[in-house]
Amino acid sequence: MLSQVFLLSPRGDTLIFKDFKGNVPKTSTETFFRKAKFWDGEGRDAPPAFTVDGVQYLHVKVGGLYWVASTRENVSPSLVLELLLRMYWICRDYFGYVSEEMVRKNFLLVYELLDEIIDYGLPQNSSTERLKQFIMMEPVAVKQRLGGGGRAGLKLPGGATGPTEVIKSVLDTDRTGAKEEIFVDIVEKLTAIFDASGHQKSSSIVGAIQIKSYLSGNPPIRLGLSENLILGRRDSRMQQSSAYGSDTDVVVLDTYSINEGVDAERFGAERVLELAPPDGHFALMNYRSSRSFRPPFRVYPLVEDDMYAGDKLTLYLRLLAEYPASKTASGVEVTVPLPRSVQRVHCETDAPNESKLLALPGRGAFEQSAEWRERERKLVWSIKNLRGGQEHTLRCRLTVDQGSIESTKRDYGPIMVQFVLPGKPSASGLDVRYMKILKDEKNYAPSRWFRVVAMANSYQIRPH
Amino acid sequence: MADAKYFSTTKKGEIHELKLELNAVDKSKKKDAVKKVIAAMTVGKDVSPLFPDVINQMQTDDMELKKLVYLYLINYAKTQPDLAIMAVNTFVKDSQDPNPLIRALAVRTMGCIRVDKITEYLCDPLHRCLKDEDPYVRKTAAVCVAKLYDISAELVEDRGFLDMLKDLLGDANPMVVANAVAALSEIQELGGKPVLDLTLGTVSKLLRALNECTEWGQVFILDSVVNYMPADAKDAEAVVERVLPRLQHANAAVVLSAIKVILRNIQYIGDESVRTALLRKLAPPLVTLLGSEPELQYVALRNISIIIQAQPSVLANDVKVFFCKYNDPSYVKMEKLDIMMRLVNERNIDQVLLEFKEYATEVDVDFVRKAVRAIGFCAISIQSAAERCINVLLELIQTKVNYVVQESIIVIKDIFRRYPNRYESIIGTLCDSLESLDEPEAKASMVWIIGEYSERIDNADELLEQFLETFPEETAAVQLALMTATVKLFLKKPMEKPQQLIQLVLTYATQETDNPDLRDRAYIYWRLLSTDPEAAKDVVLAEKPTISGAQDSTDPALLEELLRELGTLASVYHKPAASFVSKMRLAVHRADDLAAAAVRGSQNGEPEMTSVVVVEASQAGSAPTAIAAPAAMPDLLGDLLDVRAPAGAMSAAPDLPVVFGEDKGKGVVLRAALTHAADAYILQMSVCNLSMDVPIEGPLLIQFNRNALGLAPASQSVSLDAVLPGATAVVCVPLVQRQELVAPDQGQVLQVALKFPRADVGVLYFASPIASNVHL
Repeated sequence: MLSQVFLLSPRGDTLIFKDFKGNVPKTSTETFFRKAKFWDGEGRDAPPAFTVDGVQYLHVKVGGLYWVASTRENVSPSLVLELLLRMYWICRDYFGYVSEEMVRKNFLLVYELLDEIIDYGLPQNSSTERLKQFIMMEPVAVKQRLGGGGRAGLKLPGGATGPTEVIKSVLDTDRTGAKEEIFVDIVEKLTAIFDASGHQKSSSIVGAIQIKSYLSGNPPIRLGLSENLILGRRDSRMQQSSAYGSDTDVVVLDTYSINEGVDAERFGAERVLELAPPDGHFALMNYRSSRSFRPPFRVYPLVEDDMYAGDKLTLYLRLLAEYPASKTASGVEVTVPLPRSVQRVHCETDAPNESKLLALPGRGAFEQSAEWRERERKLVWSIKNLRGGQEHTLRCRLTVDQGSIESTKRDYGPIMVQFVLPGKPSASGLDVRYMKILKDEKNYAPSRWFRVVAMANSYQIRPH
Repeated sequence: MADAKYFSTTKKGEIHELKLELNAVDKSKKKDAVKKVIAAMTVGKDVSPLFPDVINQMQTDDMELKKLVYLYLINYAKTQPDLAIMAVNTFVKDSQDPNPLIRALAVRTMGCIRVDKITEYLCDPLHRCLKDEDPYVRKTAAVCVAKLYDISAELVEDRGFLDMLKDLLGDANPMVVANAVAALSEIQELGGKPVLDLTLGTVSKLLRALNECTEWGQVFILDSVVNYMPADAKDAEAVVERVLPRLQHANAAVVLSAIKVILRNIQYIGDESVRTALLRKLAPPLVTLLGSEPELQYVALRNISIIIQAQPSVLANDVKVFFCKYNDPSYVKMEKLDIMMRLVNERNIDQVLLEFKEYATEVDVDFVRKAVRAIGFCAISIQSAAERCINVLLELIQTKVNYVVQESIIVIKDIFRRYPNRYESIIGTLCDSLESLDEPEAKASMVWIIGEYSERIDNADELLEQFLETFPEETAAVQLALMTATVKLFLKKPMEKPQQLIQLVLTYATQETDNPDLRDRAYIYWRLLSTDPEAAKDVVLAEKPTISGAQDSTDPALLEELLRELGTLASVYHKPAASFVSKMRLAVHRADDLAAAAVRGSQNGEPEMTSVVVVEASQAGSAPTAIAAPAAMPDLLGDLLDVRAPAGAMSAAPDLPVVFGEDKGKGVVLRAALTHAADAYILQMSVCNLSMDVPIEGPLLIQFNRNALGLAPASQSVSLDAVLPGATAVVCVPLVQRQELVAPDQGQVLQVALKFPRADVGVLYFASPIASNVHL
């Protein structure tokens, strides 16, 4: 099926190269990199599957690396891409996190893993759990640069990862007797579009229950989900729910998929997910909901003419954090694209002057900044931490081309908001009521970590 | 201990140092040395001289060390076949080790060593391992059969491995079943002939294993089961029943393969209500796929595009899930836009239009252009919404963003053609942005509009005059449009100014230009106008057929094929598999041999040969002489199986074109041409031995790539009497035509690989044109 699998650094250096069939020339790494890097000369991403000289290249870009497979056959691209992503996750499970340095230091282990995961181009064994019995080498740890991993984990394209990453190899529990623990995360990515008056025009949630397990012996666990959970639009409970009266009491998931280890029928009947969690990271359930949710943020834009200057405008952005004060969002970033007619921008945040002076690095709860990125034609306003119930205003003076006042007013936006907001309740309302670890052993009390996180997927305000 | 440190030594005499370390007494030192060797190997250094020293470490109880040695062995066995034999004993011994991991490791590694001499020794251990008590060993052995088939298909067939593999389909362990299926599919691909006959019994065996095996195994099984032809509706329903739960799977590949199986079997189900119910079940899993990583989304979207063209009802109510997110990669956005265009209808047009408008203000130029085109498409295909669409386009033109304006004008031209005499009031607005047009297509569209409606545009002559100022510099499309528009203007307003213009244009177009299209059209207009202006009016201003709003949909035959290929690369490229999958196996394998030979050669101090010699005879150059008259060899046609001419009979085929010349330095000149007579194709070849002292002996091995006629040699082996130095022999290779090998896209050329027994000649590649007069 696959002819080769290789890992390239962002600069195109070959980190790992494995040939299975010898029917693709060894120069394929270069061929691939040149094509992918300069796809259209305009910096757009290459699609995940393309063909060069009769060789098919499939790739994903995760952990800052290119994970590539080449073949000459008409393979299933989803299978190959899923496999490459899985390789990334396995490496993560083994090393704690994945980076170029990590792969370089552990290249022998990567080869050993690859030998078990793929034989003659055919995917074999891809569960971290089952791989353990075949893998002899130990991972080599690389000292984390401060603050690196957590944030890097967040930025992974598409990977619905939580905000605080556990950097720990799965091997630690068994071999070194490190702490037994299990992490259960509900990660929801929100999509919403608002008009200028704050009316929510469309919304949807893509969510996942993700588990990272470091329990030795892999005892089965049981998770009870919300009782008022409705699965799919044709769920029989949907009909009954009208009997409950209010519509807001139910959680509706339009579509979902659950891990293959779970008894689907039982889940359908009792809303209980039971399985023996394999080691490392895995998704217990993925789902999608199109019901509207209470928006955590609102942004109201306002543009004012300047009474005296014909080439100036003032743009006000009012940001409201509409979640309870017990929650604090991090990495809040409001981005406003501005049209070409804008020449200069001067921004002023509402952070009080003394707090600017007093704010110590890492402590400043008020820390805000706003900048005009001229090359990208974007105004970026970021607030490190934002407690619920707070309100902030950004004031921007725009200098525009003569006579383009009106077109500037018409053409700015849409405004995008990025954020990470931990804390219950989840946007969809989905909740884990309880988690049991089914192990008959006295004094067995592994740590359980349960977290709910909402992140922006595509959170837009369209001012026109 | 960090592996990275093994990369650090780059001093001279490194090989020598490593050799010493490898032969050290201390075990951990030895292991470190092996790691260093492998580190050097992975960065491309040649550490093959250490082969015997590394192989010596193979007999060890340390699994980690064993694996390291195997890594090295697989890499270098090819270049050191004689030394690789040393490893055989250990392999055979390991394959009987009490530890199943070691047994599996041995059989897995042996299969990866592509050395003929080792292959013979592989058979017995493989035979044992296929019947091993441990499933891990059996599943590894199953894959090994495919590996062996790649090296020597005959051996697999002779030793009965195929049947053993088929037996494994009924194995108690689902992983073994999955690998047996995968290996059989692999062999089918390699051999190009079906080996897995899907009976009801096999299929139900496979489906039983489906629930238990890994996600990859599920894909293997589903992709095999899809080829099963159900006997009746009940049969089909039973298959669907078993496959349905797979739609919930988290792995996108499983979902897509399951959908393929269901769509295939649905055709056999007669009951309309059952079919509708099944189709309805496909929507939620497809929507779920859109929540995955962008790479997987892209594959899903390309497949969805095919599915909704065949079964439009599946996602008819879900257009919203395809709305673009601003942070989607551009390849995902483009696909979503495409699908939105397919799903738009009277009910959702308002929502969709709003989205398109939003997209048209983004920064990605290509995406913006496509969004504008999408708006135009909505106007043309949904009559009731045409006016709303046009209003959106006018708003976009107001933004004065250059490429948005140009794209809008292009689509408005189409809208005018779709709804003649309805929206011409907006022409005034369009004329405001004349200056900003700099792209040929937009210019041509605008010029067309001016010409078509010149009677309503007061200053049409002035506008055209402006365009005409740069007439000589315009592209051909704009020039043609300008000429036609000027003629229309003249016919509608036969006044002084238009007459001047038309004279200007026609004079230039008939006298100054090199473009024959332009010149010819100018002459036609000229004659029409000078002989009968009324007739000219009838011709030029004739009623045009209105264009329809059909979206460029996939050709039904192709769509049918793509549906069969759902979830494969073909479904992502939207091209039939044959157009991008080439049967290059033979060529590259042999290329490997050559490369290995080159390495061997370079070690003996000979100059290194890095590239494989591939000859492409230029089709045009050799075409005139390409065909030897069929009558030239009438006596040969009777004896198709073993046709040959006596050595030295150079004159028997004097006019064959040279396909592999002296300049290639192989000491051999090949001439060849394809001919046919008596309903059969023959490849005529002459082999000329240029060397001074060594004869060339047969038999030769021959193989073709897929070609336009589906030709293949009747026998792989071509007998050849010894060709003495300086002599030439003529050989005729009888060919057979096989439907399954037809590849129309390969062009009119036959690609041939010819292997000589003499190692220094090796494999020669050449291409021979298929001239049109050989077609039967």
